[in-house]
Amino acid sequence: MSDAGATLPRHVYVHVPLCRSKCSYCDFFSLTPDRLPVTPEALVDALFNQARVWTERGVAPAGIDTLYVGGGTPTMLGEGLATLVSALAIWAGAEPDAEITIEANPESVTPEMLELLAMAGVTRVSLGVQSLDDAELAMLGRAHVASRAIDAARWVTEAGLDLSVDVMCGLPGQSVADWRRTLDRAVATNAGHTSIYPLSLEAGTPLAAAVAIGDAPEPDPDVVADMLLEAAAVLKTSGLLRYETANYARPGHESRHNTAYWTGAPYLGVGPGAHGMLTAATAREAGFIVADGVDRVRYAIACSVETGLGIMPEVTVELLDEGESAREDAMLGLRLTRGIDEGLASRAGVTEVLEGLAADGLVVHADGRWATTERGWLLGNEVFSRVWAGE
Amino acid sequence: MTDPTLIRNFSIIAHIDHGKSTLADRVLQLTHTVADRDMQEQLLDSMDIERERGITIKAQAVRVMYDADDGKEYQLNLIDTPGHVDFTYEVSRSLAACEGVILVVDAAQGVEAQTVANALMAMNAGLEIIPLINKIDLPAADPERVRHEIEEGLSIPADEAVLASGKTGEGVREALEAVVRLVPHPVGDPDAPFKALIFDSYFDAYRGVVALIRVIDGSVSKGVKIKMMASATVTDVEEVGVRRPANVPVESLGVGEVGYLITGLKDPALVKVGDTVTLARHGATEQLPGYREAKPMVFTGLFPIDGDQYPDLRDALERLQLNDPALLWEPESSHALGFGFRVGFLGLLHMEVVKERLEREFGLELLATAPSVEYHAFRTKGDMVVVHSPQDMPDPGHLERTEEPYLKVTVLVPPDYVGAVMELSEQRRGTFKDMQYLSATTVELHYEMPLSELIMDFFDQLKSRTKGYASLDYEYIGYRESNLVKLDILLAGKAVDALSFVVHRDKAYARGKVLTEKLREIIPRQMFEVPIQAAIGAKIISRETVRAMRKDVIAKCYGGDISRKRKLLEKQKAGKKRMKSVGSVEIPQEAFMAILKVDE
Repeated sequence: MSDAGATLPRHVYVHVPLCRSKCSYCDFFSLTPDRLPVTPEALVDALFNQARVWTERGVAPAGIDTLYVGGGTPTMLGEGLATLVSALAIWAGAEPDAEITIEANPESVTPEMLELLAMAGVTRVSLGVQSLDDAELAMLGRAHVASRAIDAARWVTEAGLDLSVDVMCGLPGQSVADWRRTLDRAVATNAGHTSIYPLSLEAGTPLAAAVAIGDAPEPDPDVVADMLLEAAAVLKTSGLLRYETANYARPGHESRHNTAYWTGAPYLGVGPGAHGMLTAATAREAGFIVADGVDRVRYAIACSVETGLGIMPEVTVELLDEGESAREDAMLGLRLTRGIDEGLASRAGVTEVLEGLAADGLVVHADGRWATTERGWLLGNEVFSRVWAGE
Repeated sequence: MTDPTLIRNFSIIAHIDHGKSTLADRVLQLTHTVADRDMQEQLLDSMDIERERGITIKAQAVRVMYDADDGKEYQLNLIDTPGHVDFTYEVSRSLAACEGVILVVDAAQGVEAQTVANALMAMNAGLEIIPLINKIDLPAADPERVRHEIEEGLSIPADEAVLASGKTGEGVREALEAVVRLVPHPVGDPDAPFKALIFDSYFDAYRGVVALIRVIDGSVSKGVKIKMMASATVTDVEEVGVRRPANVPVESLGVGEVGYLITGLKDPALVKVGDTVTLARHGATEQLPGYREAKPMVFTGLFPIDGDQYPDLRDALERLQLNDPALLWEPESSHALGFGFRVGFLGLLHMEVVKERLEREFGLELLATAPSVEYHAFRTKGDMVVVHSPQDMPDPGHLERTEEPYLKVTVLVPPDYVGAVMELSEQRRGTFKDMQYLSATTVELHYEMPLSELIMDFFDQLKSRTKGYASLDYEYIGYRESNLVKLDILLAGKAVDALSFVVHRDKAYARGKVLTEKLREIIPRQMFEVPIQAAIGAKIISRETVRAMRKDVIAKCYGGDISRKRKLLEKQKAGKKRMKSVGSVEIPQEAFMAILKVDE
């Protein structure tokens, strides 16, 4: 699928490793301000400087379609976030219609800040709502209450920005009725985009430990299945249609940045803990040692301010050959409701696998495309792992 | 040749962990048999498994020269014996090569089950018993109490018991003095034809089968033509020697001496433990008493997890068999597990040890099916089928009657635990025969019990229900009629051959129920519902269901997650690969193990 030439990335991801407090379920790389060895202002400068190094390495983007500032909690940077966004947009050559998203947590946004961000070029805010039940929010260790999330959502819309909300189901002790209440409140924010995540208990997090020792009940996967089906149905009646495993949007409000990840488009990652993906040719040009036969290079920047924030951050790389790239694209493409075309399936050598999955009712073959079925959404790992393994 | 009056043949016997091997190490050091720099722990336990588990599997013999207090130099032959009920016969042959034993008792633990069993075995063999209270350096040591226990529990005078510490070496010289003073010297006729007991053998890749022998009468030297009486095998003696512990050739071995014979034979099965070796011409006419054919009692299917390892498994079994003629095997195939072997063992420990050696020394990954015994199935048309594997069992329609091997089981236990032993024995279809008090602290119980019940973790159960006090011994008493059925396990409607087993009809229902319940817990939820059924013939006797998996999806997958999530999926997939698939059902290996340990 990938162009052998130096297809420059048209998407940029920036990781801001800063949070007011650490949530009980989160295993992403972020630090509370007291543990961050630099000031927020210095962090903004360092992130921008790291981005600019790609210019010296000869692979600066020649125009970008999307910019995504995630974290962490980018809004913790305050006005510095607006500075960072505008500087990056100019440096990367954001197209006039570029999608520029920032992640935000309800407790750290204000109407004034949102206005400033809109002026800096931000078009979209992904709001970490997670739950609209105060007891659940407390259990998750979130730094906000439900009413603040509802206010924050309104402020985003009032600032003229596209709103996306994240909500989580399958929380310890959460009933289907509890979930339905959060879901209804989330729909009431009128967000054009909603992400639904079943809680994933990540090793090493306080919540996983609480479940392991029996302090919190372990979510029943069958109940979670009911919750996910409920979510799809409720969102559909509100005009939000599934376009990816976990993502629903009103037509035209799908995340263009995330869609790039699922369609094999190269992207630059900036900041400690960020990831990027480059074609082999671009990666070589940027100075990575890339063997013959490699098609695609994925890199991850160290999860440490000391080694991941400088202009030459420590990275680990993963090299994929053409077959692996194609199978990865097929696997990720099947996360999308539109699925993948027959050409990709055959390039990836997974046509037979897909036929097997179709026999199990997990995918369907129609109009020259392969797409995941309703049953397939809930059993996605079966689809993904068989396609990736190619057997 | 040494004057028999200057020879002492003895063994060290003990409960597990009472310090037998460490004590043997000290004997080797004290007599300068092994230089200090060559000393390694538990020298006589040559296999890693022996060292790790603290058990002795192969008999060993080592000659040490000892300068006694009486000014004379004695030849002491220390014969180390296997220490488990599976090897009772082998132990009895090793003891038959001795005149005395050192009975080691831990100064803190006191008399334990195997202490009793071992002491009784030595008494029955008519051996002199020298009690030795070991580990007296321990803070918890209480030699007076232990001395009392030896006298009360074993009826062995212990006022002169040796107090020793294998760790510090204290008392080791006293122990050897006691051996010289108390163990009778061997007695034999030096002018009679050569006659010796084979108490073990091993295979040397360059020299062939090597027999460990104890000379009874006459003498043997290189070049003599000898005959193994039970196996009726004649061969030349290529070398005679003694083990110190490395092989040292000698001119000849005479009355009472212990050593090795290199036979030049290539087939270990011809050199049998317990056999009598004599001259090929004008030899002894009477065999030594006590010889028995080694007969496998427990059978199991061994299958490589990776089918490609099948030829390696065959090679490995052939190699192990060279030093373990009791190991018998034949090819077997299973729909669920592919190609493997049905292997016969002396008992469960023997089975575990062999499996572990195959895995460890030969790098194989193996699955073992439920152990079974040799059943006899009589068909309506009048013939008898020998059933080594559940698959050999005739259809219920063609079956007239069945028989299974029975044992006379002897359990020694303190009076407090008699109730627990009776309860367990009854659960295991034992028939109570009699009971007697050996002393105020030891009761002897006799049961007749099917061997198949004994191999279902009876020993472990007995130990745990008696806090480790019970000791067990058994002897084979022949086949008895028994109402046996083959129980099949069906997954998603298909019988999984490797999960079938033969069971008494009265227990089939309970076993089927427990097993289906256990399998329901072990078999992971799959994309489709999996019914688990236990059946006798066409009749379903219990049923459980593994419900279909409804949700298994990584919901969050963005730029930073892709590599990580891909690896997670790979790991999941690799886990599935280690499972065996039968039809559309993936069965984890634990499922095949589950039926090894079903406690109703």
